[in-house]
Amino acid sequence: MDKLSHIRNFCIVAHIDHGKSTLADRLIENTGTLAKRDMQAQLLDSMELEREKGITIKLTPTRMKYTYGGEEYILNLIDTPGHVDFTYEVSRSLLACEGAILIVDASQGVEAQTLANAYLAIDNNLEILPVINKIDLPSARPDEVKSEIEDVIGIPAGHAPCISAKDGTNIDHVLEMIVKEFPAPKGDVHEKLKCLIFDSFYDNFKGAICFVRVFDGSVKPGDKILMMQTGKTYDVTEVGYFVPNMQSCGKLSAGDVGYIAGSIKTISDVSVGDTITHAANPCNEALPGYKKVQPVVYCGVFPVDGAKYNELKDALEKLKLNDASLEYQPESSEALGFGFRCGFLGLLHLEIITERIEREFNLDIITTAPSVYYKVHKTNGQVLEISNPSDLPSTVEIDYIEEPVVKANIFAPPDYVGAVMELCQNKRGEYKNLTYLDKSRVRIDYILPLGEIVYDFFDSLKSRTKGYASFDYSMDGFSRSDLVRVDILLNGEKCDALSLIVHKDKAYSRGREIAEKLKKIIPRQLFEVPIQAAIGNKIIARETISAMRKDVLAKCYGGDITRKRKLLEKQKEGKKRMRRIGSVEIPSEAFMSILKLDDDE
Amino acid sequence: MSKLGIYVHIPFCESKCLYCDFASFSGAENKQEQYFQFLLNEIKGSQYKGREVDTIFIGGGTPSCVKPDYIESVLRTIKETFVLLDDAEITIECNPNSVDERKLSLYKTCGINRISFGVQSLQDETLKKIGRLHNRDMALGAIALARRLGFNNINADLMLGLPNATEEKVLSDAEILIGYGVTHISAYMLQVEQGTPLFELIRKDPEFVPSDDESVIIYEKLANFLEKNGFLRYEISNFAKTGYECKHNLKYWSGEDYIGFGLAAHSLIRGKKVDQRIANSKNFEEYFAEKKTIDKLYVTDKIVEKIMLGLRCKLGFSQRELESLGYVVKRNRNFKKFLEQGIIFEDGDRVKINPKYYGVSNYIIVNLLPEDF
Repeated sequence: MDKLSHIRNFCIVAHIDHGKSTLADRLIENTGTLAKRDMQAQLLDSMELEREKGITIKLTPTRMKYTYGGEEYILNLIDTPGHVDFTYEVSRSLLACEGAILIVDASQGVEAQTLANAYLAIDNNLEILPVINKIDLPSARPDEVKSEIEDVIGIPAGHAPCISAKDGTNIDHVLEMIVKEFPAPKGDVHEKLKCLIFDSFYDNFKGAICFVRVFDGSVKPGDKILMMQTGKTYDVTEVGYFVPNMQSCGKLSAGDVGYIAGSIKTISDVSVGDTITHAANPCNEALPGYKKVQPVVYCGVFPVDGAKYNELKDALEKLKLNDASLEYQPESSEALGFGFRCGFLGLLHLEIITERIEREFNLDIITTAPSVYYKVHKTNGQVLEISNPSDLPSTVEIDYIEEPVVKANIFAPPDYVGAVMELCQNKRGEYKNLTYLDKSRVRIDYILPLGEIVYDFFDSLKSRTKGYASFDYSMDGFSRSDLVRVDILLNGEKCDALSLIVHKDKAYSRGREIAEKLKKIIPRQLFEVPIQAAIGNKIIARETISAMRKDVLAKCYGGDITRKRKLLEKQKEGKKRMRRIGSVEIPSEAFMSILKLDDDE
Repeated sequence: MSKLGIYVHIPFCESKCLYCDFASFSGAENKQEQYFQFLLNEIKGSQYKGREVDTIFIGGGTPSCVKPDYIESVLRTIKETFVLLDDAEITIECNPNSVDERKLSLYKTCGINRISFGVQSLQDETLKKIGRLHNRDMALGAIALARRLGFNNINADLMLGLPNATEEKVLSDAEILIGYGVTHISAYMLQVEQGTPLFELIRKDPEFVPSDDESVIIYEKLANFLEKNGFLRYEISNFAKTGYECKHNLKYWSGEDYIGFGLAAHSLIRGKKVDQRIANSKNFEEYFAEKKTIDKLYVTDKIVEKIMLGLRCKLGFSQRELESLGYVVKRNRNFKKFLEQGIIFEDGDRVKINPKYYGVSNYIIVNLLPEDF
């Protein structure tokens, strides 16, 4: 039997919440890959955070067996993240597949990321199978959604299975279509080994594990393999499949999706996108791999307890292994001491990484307000690229500054067009286009500064459209802009970690809002503390925290000293979360809180 | 062997005040018989039997709301179990509304020589708002009666931060109490504890009580006024004429041994190897089952307590004592800063808070604790 013709490698893409993980669970269940009793909802979302937030962050492959027409097929599913921040990870898994299931919610229809993901799949020459999900909902309108897919995305959808992943309706139809519609992988078992590393993770016992798609040849334990990009060689100790837990097997060969372990000790030796081949008999040419992804958002990450710098460093190293897109480099701040400036794919990515540092590594950290990457053209002709507001040279040295902008497309019901446009206008957006897709959906295109999106764009969009709008963006180069740095002074001393770069027209209001916010967050001190916002030497806002008058413990009753001591110890514990700027103590939340200013206020 | 202080807790009240978070119960009269029986047994069975006792403090709750015979039997039992010194200070807490001539005389006969009245305020409207059962006339009447019966060591509790409080009213209350012959005033800031009716009242109407800032200003005025009238601030909340400092409370603050009997009573027993704070349970069933919480004091705990208790007293803490526990307070960077800023000062070996900063003593204490614990 020809093995290759009985393999199907595919992924599932969709807008967030359209039911990717639920369909993945059903496929696993219906193929009998796992017994029902071993199933837990959202099986592939194994990270605690993924289940909690109901999102998929990591790629998770699963090998299933399915019998069709009396023959057994191997179906390799690679689950993908749905959030716009993780578009990069989606594109990574696409390279390992021949087909993509595009799920569309039967009542919501095509959304911003449906479109973005569909285009990604088309760009990667994948066969796309549209699937209409949630037909159990009373508001489901599968036929309209099918024509929406044809009109908006431009792919045929007449044959799309209409399913309810939740209820398990028509799942077999999807499985049949996978076999019928998706092409079998091409490749030659007898060729020289050629595997793509599409993801990796660190196992405490086995070392770094490479998630691979084998294109040509085969690999088995004992083989000496070569990583073509890094030039390192390893002895294979184990190969296997994901079912969805790791299960070792004799060998992996062309067409297969699985894993390779080789006692790879150093985290950085596994480069996602690299090609694995045999050291003794290498293939002629490496796979194209992935283009390096550029972080879009940066922020400073510091340990609350300065002594834990090395623990933070270890945590970042470990996270980096499973998350190639995370970038970091050492940074020091007068206010916060030693830490790291980290680059993220977006705000959600930032939030997830910082939460994981706190939870999985049990470290208390302070994060500074997120910033984007600016190009600063100096009068002497030099061009600086900065992501830390503190690095901005003085105004006299600056000729002009460029900030990154994005192409944003927003899908919303027509009733909200006004609200969306007003928001984009507030965010210094440049109007591009407005298209009525059908009577219930409008697509609005804007060029927006990335720095504005980083603030509270998502939340504002959601609240202004009652959650009906969806949003996607892609980077669109740099644009010249009138930007200034607003500094915050506490008791006359500049606090570098609170500085931020904003558009000149917004500097005054932003400075005032931050000063007001800090007044609420910083507890009263023994002395009066002025809070000032300044551009250069010019003070643009001022608030005052009056001196603390009362901080006294209650009467100790009947000799109950213990209670009092415990209260003090608690207070002392709280002090560890404080940072000192000159003589002023600031709670660590203050540094992040300046991000959460509500523009609508 | 050092002399012991004894605390006896009477967890009964006629009614619960709106701010009260202490271990006391109203409407539990049916429990009194059983309670006292158990309490007397607890005293009799004390492992410190035979030790010399130089202070007794009967607190509550409201000790004056139970039959005076109970009080008498408690004191008799203590005398039978321990060696009560002749010059011992014996205090009882009383509410002005629950004392009369017969009761006070009986207290006197059984050796009580110090009375602490829960006056809180002399403003009738204020007293009503916080759920006290007495008024101004009852409070002054009770003090006068005690004086007439020969009690010459009398404390009045005053509370700061109560509804309707103004500087004039609080100072006038203090002036009148001094005129009536009290020798000691404990002035406490109202603490609004979660779960009390007062907490709910303030949640609904934040202006039910004056702001912290207002109360602190009034407190400072009161402290000045009392000092001017010969009541020295020997502890952050306690003012006394010379020689009338409460010896029992001083034991708490200077870390001397005391044992507590009764529900929710606390003891400090210093041992050869380890010091222990022992607390009886706060509810009847557990107390009757002799349930106790034992808190062993390790070096850091001792350091924290020395600083915390010391700085709240006029006497301050001793640097040498802390050094013997391994903590050189001078190396704490806040110490130097506070010295320079005049927030604390040195008096020989002792370190004291500048009285101007008593209001933020907690902040100062926290900042002077060992940095790495």
